[in-house]
Amino acid sequence: MAVSPHDYDAPPPVTRTVRVTGEDLRARAHRDQMHVRLLGVAGGFCLIFTVVAIKLSIATVLHPMAPEKRQIASQIPEIPKIDPKGSLAGDFSLPQVHRASIIDRNGQTLALSLPVAQVYANPQELIDPQDVTKKLKTVLKDLNEEETTRRLSLPKQFVYIARNITPQQELAINSMGIPGIYFEPGERRHYPLGNMAAQIMGTVDIDDHGVAGVERFFDKRLMSDHHALRLSLDVRVQSVVRDELATAMSTFQAIGACAIVMDVRTGEVIAMVSLPDYDANEFSHASNDARFNRAVTGLYEPGSTFKLQTAAMGLETGTIHIWDRFSSIPIHIGRFTISDMKSDHFAPWMTLPEVMAYSSNPAAAHIALDVGGKRQAEWFHDMGFFAPVPIELPEAARPLVPHQWGISTTMTVGFGHGMAEPPLSIVRGTAATVNGGILITPTLLEREDAATAAPQEAALSQGVQTAALEQAETDTGSAKADSSSDALPTPQGPRVLSEKVSALLRRLLRLDVTSGTGRTAESPGYFVGGKTGTAEKIGPHGGYLKHVNISAFTGIFPMNAPRYAVYVMLDSPKPTPQTHGWTTAGWNAAPTVSKIVSRIGPMLQIFPDTAHAAQIDASMAIPMHPAVPRGVRPLGPGNDPGDPRKAEAEHRAAKAAERKALADQKAALKAAQKKQAQEVMDE
Amino acid sequence: MAGSRIDDSPFGRWWRNVDRTTLICAFILIGFGYILMLAASPAVAVRIGASRNMFIFKQVMFLSVAGLIVVGVSMLSRKAVLRLSLLGGALMLGATALTLVHGIEIKGARRWIALPLMSLQPSEFLKPCFAVVTGWLLTQRRISRYFPGMLLAFGLFGVILMLLKSQPDIGMLTVITTVFMTQLFVDGLNLILVGVGVAGMIGAGISAFLLFPHVRSRVERFLHPNVGDHYQIDTALRAFGNGGLTGRGPGEGRVKDLLPDAHADFVFAVAGEEYGLIVCLLIICVFGVIVVRTLLRLIREDDPFVVISTAGLVTGFGLQAFVNMASTLHLIPTKGMTLPFISYGGSSAMSVALAIGMVLALTRHQPGERSPRGESMMNTLRQWRPV
Repeated sequence: MAVSPHDYDAPPPVTRTVRVTGEDLRARAHRDQMHVRLLGVAGGFCLIFTVVAIKLSIATVLHPMAPEKRQIASQIPEIPKIDPKGSLAGDFSLPQVHRASIIDRNGQTLALSLPVAQVYANPQELIDPQDVTKKLKTVLKDLNEEETTRRLSLPKQFVYIARNITPQQELAINSMGIPGIYFEPGERRHYPLGNMAAQIMGTVDIDDHGVAGVERFFDKRLMSDHHALRLSLDVRVQSVVRDELATAMSTFQAIGACAIVMDVRTGEVIAMVSLPDYDANEFSHASNDARFNRAVTGLYEPGSTFKLQTAAMGLETGTIHIWDRFSSIPIHIGRFTISDMKSDHFAPWMTLPEVMAYSSNPAAAHIALDVGGKRQAEWFHDMGFFAPVPIELPEAARPLVPHQWGISTTMTVGFGHGMAEPPLSIVRGTAATVNGGILITPTLLEREDAATAAPQEAALSQGVQTAALEQAETDTGSAKADSSSDALPTPQGPRVLSEKVSALLRRLLRLDVTSGTGRTAESPGYFVGGKTGTAEKIGPHGGYLKHVNISAFTGIFPMNAPRYAVYVMLDSPKPTPQTHGWTTAGWNAAPTVSKIVSRIGPMLQIFPDTAHAAQIDASMAIPMHPAVPRGVRPLGPGNDPGDPRKAEAEHRAAKAAERKALADQKAALKAAQKKQAQEVMDE
Repeated sequence: MAGSRIDDSPFGRWWRNVDRTTLICAFILIGFGYILMLAASPAVAVRIGASRNMFIFKQVMFLSVAGLIVVGVSMLSRKAVLRLSLLGGALMLGATALTLVHGIEIKGARRWIALPLMSLQPSEFLKPCFAVVTGWLLTQRRISRYFPGMLLAFGLFGVILMLLKSQPDIGMLTVITTVFMTQLFVDGLNLILVGVGVAGMIGAGISAFLLFPHVRSRVERFLHPNVGDHYQIDTALRAFGNGGLTGRGPGEGRVKDLLPDAHADFVFAVAGEEYGLIVCLLIICVFGVIVVRTLLRLIREDDPFVVISTAGLVTGFGLQAFVNMASTLHLIPTKGMTLPFISYGGSSAMSVALAIGMVLALTRHQPGERSPRGESMMNTLRQWRPV
């Protein structure tokens, strides 16, 4: 600062004698005191300002409090880290995507996430919205120019411009260097195989959370683990099954269809098709009918397929034997009549093999009566028919089960009516009857048993080799059989049937195909066994509709060493000239199973064995009229403990009351089924 | 920079005699006020739904008026300053009383009176006027023996106390009380009585803590940093932390956008984020220079009226700056007080301008003044020439 003007006024540095009065002295003392105290005040201010300065240094430099990430997000953008945890797995994980891929058992990609970006703007930072829109339009071809300009002129701080743009587009927009345009990294789920297993895949919502199918069931797993999720599905098999099923559906003009291929030993679902289906990438545009997974969500009366369960129950409980005979005479109970189709012309008394092969309703009802309602209900409970089928899909439906288990319920359930089950549940129950009696748990995940994976690989190459050798040398068949049986995994789960009963049921199932209702399911060399099932559909008003059927066939192959169950169901198939007016399973579902088995067998490393056909068939054969062992009184005419006529006579009074209750209960069940039926019928 | 002594115009004389350092400091602060308003206010304005430039335009006007007030008032004579204080004080006392009846209620307190273009907080103006009037009352009682200066001062203080308590405006009340205490202290009040006064203030503080729920909540949040809502103060400290030594640069602050009251109570944090430690220290220094330098200069002043009044004025000014900066830095509980000249606010800017103008007017060198001399340490200090 320059010289102060005060310098000119400086008092002369000479002492002067002044006269001072008392008043003056007091005033001077006061002034001095004031000056000392002013010094004190000044000192105080120095102190507090110093404290502020010190605290300021602490807050800014010495011990600064770091701002939160979101507060300075635009200042210090996050630098994307490429795979920080080194968790890249397989060829299907891409950097910067969070959701793991889904692959089939052979590594084929079913679902994967692609990196995309959302582009947004802060209109407050834009200079000329119209110009910005024009520039963006050069990259984003389907941008609505007018609307975007309007939105960019809004007095907002955040406006989305486009979602899910490709990295190339992001780069192009970024290169324009428009201030106020920002990107938000994201990812989009893509299903490269389109319709393949669409209902199983489900979908994800806009925030990348699974909302249906395995995407929902494994949501947490897919978000936390970058390794691809390997399913038990085999897209090759899935594709064949879908192809054959679609053909059958159009041939028979069915309104819907479903098919399942399941490993009866491990429970792995190899293929699961529900038609109509949709492109998994277009989930939001799919109809409810297309989204509906008939295999696990659809509930259908199993029909004759359930006679297998009735027979298994009778044999396992020791109530019936292979040589016993059962009445096929129509049973009248209340308003209902349990009878067979008039065209069947069955003998009045049929042996168990005949009951199974020709599928007699009254005979099955008699077996059920012989076992008794209580034991029957327990049996179905143990077989898992009362609970939703365990599968890794959130859509698994709870079956419709009668609340009261009266005598008519016992009879109708005996031949597969009065109960509605998802197809997968039927397949599961059938698997238990043929795999040695173990109730396996169906799964969509590939078995993670590495120990068994290696032998399977070995068996594969060996199988191919032996198959090749076989063409030249026909005598190595036994070696092949040995090697394949070695590789078979042991079923895991609770035992519901003895090995012996299971072996007997295998013969009965084979009998149905060799000389029963399921003859059309035969596929040469694959020894298909199975059971037809045709259930009349319940109409919108509760009554059964004649000639509108759910026709299903549950097949197993090869029957001599059961490996795969193949289930085909057609909803409301129409008669064709080839079926001679029939709509029963033997005319539509069973031939479809035959075609599927022929095509998928080789894919599953099972080759037709026509060379030993006679030998194997002989070992599987069972006479239609098995001999009664000495000293045993078989069930049959005159020995029919479960005959309702007997019971009717005894409990006439009791039944009058029960009949009403039964009718009510039946009506209630039908009302519940009505919804289901309508859903299917609406189309 | 000194005007020529030949220049005998009123402006020339004023320029020669006025405390130019303080004047320049005041204008430096006004300059900071402009710059920080550009940084701090748009986010707040947008948040409350106004035009982003609303605060800037208003503040440009307020600060221009404030600059004129500083210069204009600094030209007044001592007598005119006293008259202005008596008149303005009486007017503002009435207006403060009126707030209780006709005030606009903002955040639970009635402190403002609606005027065209701006709302006025009369207690802000009351503060400098009261300081000058107290100085006069305390001096007058020594000149005329029977003038009950002390009694009148206490009476006036009591009235103001009651008014501010009713608003309520505990912050302003604390500042006015402290100013009054400082003036009594400088006037030579017995140290025992000073002690009693300090004890009384502490007691009043405790009773305010017990009586006013908002005071209690703020103090408790200050005392227990881990309990309760610390969003404001944490955000302020993060702003300082983001700034560091040299700051993020003009307009580059981001945390400031999230600061409530960034344009008023937390403007210092905005300065910290955008301009860093260095500029913030500069601001503290400017306040320190105005306050400490003026107090030290008063030592050369003999007129007790000037000493006591000016001490009161700069104490109020310095205290306000301290309270604002300290609460932004979490040194004391948060108290809604503006940073003189820098925070947004018409009443605040003009009242501070009035105070600084009065300081400049009172400390202006009086031609022909001749001070008696002593042999004490004070003598040495009197020879000291602050630059």
